[in-house]
Amino acid sequence: MSDNLSNILDIKDIEVVYDNVILALHNVSLKVPKGKVVALLGANGAGKSTTLKAVSTMLASERGKVTKGSINYNGTPIEKQNPSQMVGLGMVQVLEGRRCFGHLTVEENIISGAYSRKLSKGDINQELEKIYSYFLRLKERRKSQAAFTSGGEQQMIAVARAMMAKPKMLLLDEPTMGLAPQLVAEIFNIVKELNQKEGVSILLAEQNTNIALKNSDYGYIIETGKVMLEGTAESLLNNDKVKELYLGISKKGRKNFRDVLKEESLNKRSN
Amino acid sequence: MIDELLFFMEVLVGGLLAGTMYSLVALGFVLIFKASATFNFSQGAMVFFSVLAFCGFMQDFNIPFVLAFILAALLMVVVGLCTERLVLRPLMNASEDTVLMATIGLGYVLEGLAQAAWGVEVRRLDLGIGDFPVPWIADNLKLFISALDITAGLVAAIMIIGLFLLFKYTKIGLGLRAVADDAGAASSIGIPLKHIMLLVWSAAGVVALVAGCMWGARAGVQFALVDLALKALPVLIIGGFSSIPGAIIGGLIIGATEKILEVYIGPYFGGAIEGWAPYVLAIFFLLYRPEGLFGEKIIRRV
Repeated sequence: MSDNLSNILDIKDIEVVYDNVILALHNVSLKVPKGKVVALLGANGAGKSTTLKAVSTMLASERGKVTKGSINYNGTPIEKQNPSQMVGLGMVQVLEGRRCFGHLTVEENIISGAYSRKLSKGDINQELEKIYSYFLRLKERRKSQAAFTSGGEQQMIAVARAMMAKPKMLLLDEPTMGLAPQLVAEIFNIVKELNQKEGVSILLAEQNTNIALKNSDYGYIIETGKVMLEGTAESLLNNDKVKELYLGISKKGRKNFRDVLKEESLNKRSN
Repeated sequence: MIDELLFFMEVLVGGLLAGTMYSLVALGFVLIFKASATFNFSQGAMVFFSVLAFCGFMQDFNIPFVLAFILAALLMVVVGLCTERLVLRPLMNASEDTVLMATIGLGYVLEGLAQAAWGVEVRRLDLGIGDFPVPWIADNLKLFISALDITAGLVAAIMIIGLFLLFKYTKIGLGLRAVADDAGAASSIGIPLKHIMLLVWSAAGVVALVAGCMWGARAGVQFALVDLALKALPVLIIGGFSSIPGAIIGGLIIGATEKILEVYIGPYFGGAIEGWAPYVLAIFFLLYRPEGLFGEKIIRRV
């Protein structure tokens, strides 16, 4: 993955600071190849959301700042962009916690995603039908108020709304949070379908390591603001450490990668 | 008996129509509350500022009525533009309380600017509509109803229909409702917050101008218009802060009850209960229906 043109997103050694004092990320580097799904894995507070918000430039609204490093999207640096410009460039973030417009109907929610595009009424209806073909469930509920739909449906609304902006790249922040296993599978099926049929590149932040890796091409594991491990999804799924720490196939009381690394360096020294 | 009924009808209709004058003021608050979840304390100052400028254009520069109105409306758009650029954008990530305090400051700035530019004396505003009973209605229905009240009612009706259509059926209206629900999510899908804010503040400014014209024609264009905005508070509590129909109905309820209470119960209190009765009503609403009649309920799935 050395060719710059083949990567739609290229993050190099970024450091993010909140409120000028709290260091949330140090030296995070990651790449998303065009048309691929990349998983960003880690526990609560590891820095997944921060990484995504750094990319979508939504950090500013939370008093966060990229203080070092660079982020290139489709060959252009994103420093000077704001969220609505990023959407214009084809990068849309689906925020953690779904964040539907509760008082709007399902359909109004989805249409609002096309705000940045100049579409006629007819074009919008055409786009809507296309979106509904991926989210059949939403078509049935198009007239309901979004706040009264289920958690899974709300997640679908959030993804459908983002798709309405015709993104080249989607940033999904914990799309399966708090959903039943069946719905998790359904959401991932849709995401996979969008990736394959629409050619959308996806950066996916997840805690659900197993299913995330099974649906991705490549993965990064971050802990306390640092990338600890990266590799193809397959290699990560078969990695003993990942199995032990993230897939719950554990032996002893080790808690995270830092402990593993410490242990290994101790072993080396004693050898 | 018939006379008493007629008298009651007259009090009621007069009250309802006077209530629409409150509704017009309340409308401006609702617009801004919907978009930024902030009570705009400068709304009263905007009423004063806009109508004083309108009078100034007409009386000091001899600009004809319609042109002066358009100029004043444009001036309010400029005020909206400056407010967005100089006050709201720097406070984009500040808490709602901070923005609330900023609107109080903005109010003082507008009051000061208006008086510095146009002077402090009370001005008369003649809309060509008299504040006296319409003879035709007085003759045929035996009700004494002011022409100005009827005009205010019509204007309020036109504005509510216009705003309703704007919100429900236009793209920018959809954007505004989205921002009202979740500004963060709205910006994540590319709805530019600054355009929405600019629209809302300009619309609130024009609504303030219309409300100012009605009140100015009745009570003279003077500093007291600023405090009028306080009358909108019970209207908003009853109607709901985020509902445009609520602002209208709330105004009607306040207008009718205060007149009826004044006429029938007022004498027992030595009169002048008009001034405080709406606030008592508002307290009851706060206790039993805090979101108001039409306010958006806080929807929570369980």
